[in-house]
Amino acid sequence: MRAVIAVSLNGRAYQLEDDAHAALAQYLATAERALEGNPDRAEILADLEQAIADKCERCLGTHKTVLTQAEIEQVIGEMGPVEGGGGPQTARAGAAAAHEQTAGAGFAAGAAPAAPKRLYQISEGALLSGVCKGIAVYFDMDVTVVRLLFILAAILTGGAAILAYIVMMFVVPYAQTPEEVAAAGGVPFNARVLVEQWKRKAAQFADAAAHAARIDGSTAERARWRAEWRRARWQWKQEWRRSRAEWRARRWGPYRFSAWGANPMPPAPPLPPLAAFLSGLGWAVLGILVALVTLAWLFALLSVLATGAVFGWSIGHLPLWAAVIVLIVLYQLVVSPLRALRYAHSPYFYAYRYRAHALADAIIGLVLLALLLWVLGFHMPALQHLFDWLRTQIAPLWRGGGRAAPSPAH
Amino acid sequence: MLDEQKLGVLRKGFLEFLVLRIISGASVYAADILKTLAMTEFATQEGTLYPLLSRLRREGLLDYEWQESASGPPRKYYRLTAAGAARLAEFSAYWARINQTIQSLGG
Repeated sequence: MRAVIAVSLNGRAYQLEDDAHAALAQYLATAERALEGNPDRAEILADLEQAIADKCERCLGTHKTVLTQAEIEQVIGEMGPVEGGGGPQTARAGAAAAHEQTAGAGFAAGAAPAAPKRLYQISEGALLSGVCKGIAVYFDMDVTVVRLLFILAAILTGGAAILAYIVMMFVVPYAQTPEEVAAAGGVPFNARVLVEQWKRKAAQFADAAAHAARIDGSTAERARWRAEWRRARWQWKQEWRRSRAEWRARRWGPYRFSAWGANPMPPAPPLPPLAAFLSGLGWAVLGILVALVTLAWLFALLSVLATGAVFGWSIGHLPLWAAVIVLIVLYQLVVSPLRALRYAHSPYFYAYRYRAHALADAIIGLVLLALLLWVLGFHMPALQHLFDWLRTQIAPLWRGGGRAAPSPAH
Repeated sequence: MLDEQKLGVLRKGFLEFLVLRIISGASVYAADILKTLAMTEFATQEGTLYPLLSRLRREGLLDYEWQESASGPPRKYYRLTAAGAARLAEFSAYWARINQTIQSLGG
């Protein structure tokens, strides 16, 4: 008997034996590394996955639904090693040229500089300190848009974004040499790749829409355009899912502790049915719990913004923005162990294999939270009262076995 | 015996030309390109072709269009752009010249 892993290749599901899965994962990881910095990386990878899927299809039938390692090795052999495909441009692009392209032609230039990308402050064209300008160059966006977003964030977070700006002013280094300026717009990382893709596709569709408007008489043309739009939306979704899965794997997987792209850990054997059911139940219950906490937190946030007090609890001399930050930190403290617990339960996500990591996270988080509450209890009489009150509420239930609790002396 | 590595470099340089040539006939699907090449000494694999196609598209030499397929998801059909046709004409002229040179210098 062998363990089987289900994978999605460009949107279709396939079942692989565990060692076949390991081989395929390694091939795709290598391909991803080879295409590092290629602006069409996501698209090429999707095409490659599609080609792999087509080849897999050949080995499957009504009575054969699982791919073996030998078959996958055969498919990978047929696919051949993936070449970077940056072409002569890549070789030519020096750091300075790369910066020119990023700033000027943006994505169309296509050349990928080899230098790692870093966030810098850029004093040239800065309004205050250059933080926004640096972020703008990093994401290849318009500075004005970044500034507007920052102002919006400052209003929405009650000033926390301003605090973040001040912190970044001191923490983020200035780009001083041309190499550093180039590095500010250098090799893409995940989020930037997404932003780029969305921008490029939006431009593409603005073009297509303009085209469709010009020839609006032809229904066939319009149908074609609509089909293309649907397809692109589907592709967006795929890319979004892929990047989220990647993020999850990084957040909850072992990659935090080892180099990204290192040999994947061997998958765990499938759970027995009862354990699988309990695990699924835990997953769902914890999900609901997180949602409830989030809802309560949102109400607390609203109430602090609207009335200056959390559910009637005065925040005292604390300024509003500090109260908001405290709320955010508290929320993270409560939710992150819950989330980690949830992923430890996850029967199907990446964390499945790395349950121990997520569980350790959860335990550390819960201990920290308990410690914090305990320490706060000494310093805040209100919290002390709350604990006492909770105790008097709960204790009779414990003993009384469901009889109505006497109301506490208050 | 011929040095396989040297020949590999030669073939690699020609691949772009050949791909443009294949696409110039009719709009084709990537698997068709591979099938056409597979019968020649330029047999190529997906790992090489896909990045090449993506680069040619980025350089504006070719373009693709999604077409529904009877089996499976829609496919990308590639065709040459005007710039691609011009590049192909240049390539062809250059190849004719090289060929002539080789012939005339031969003993």
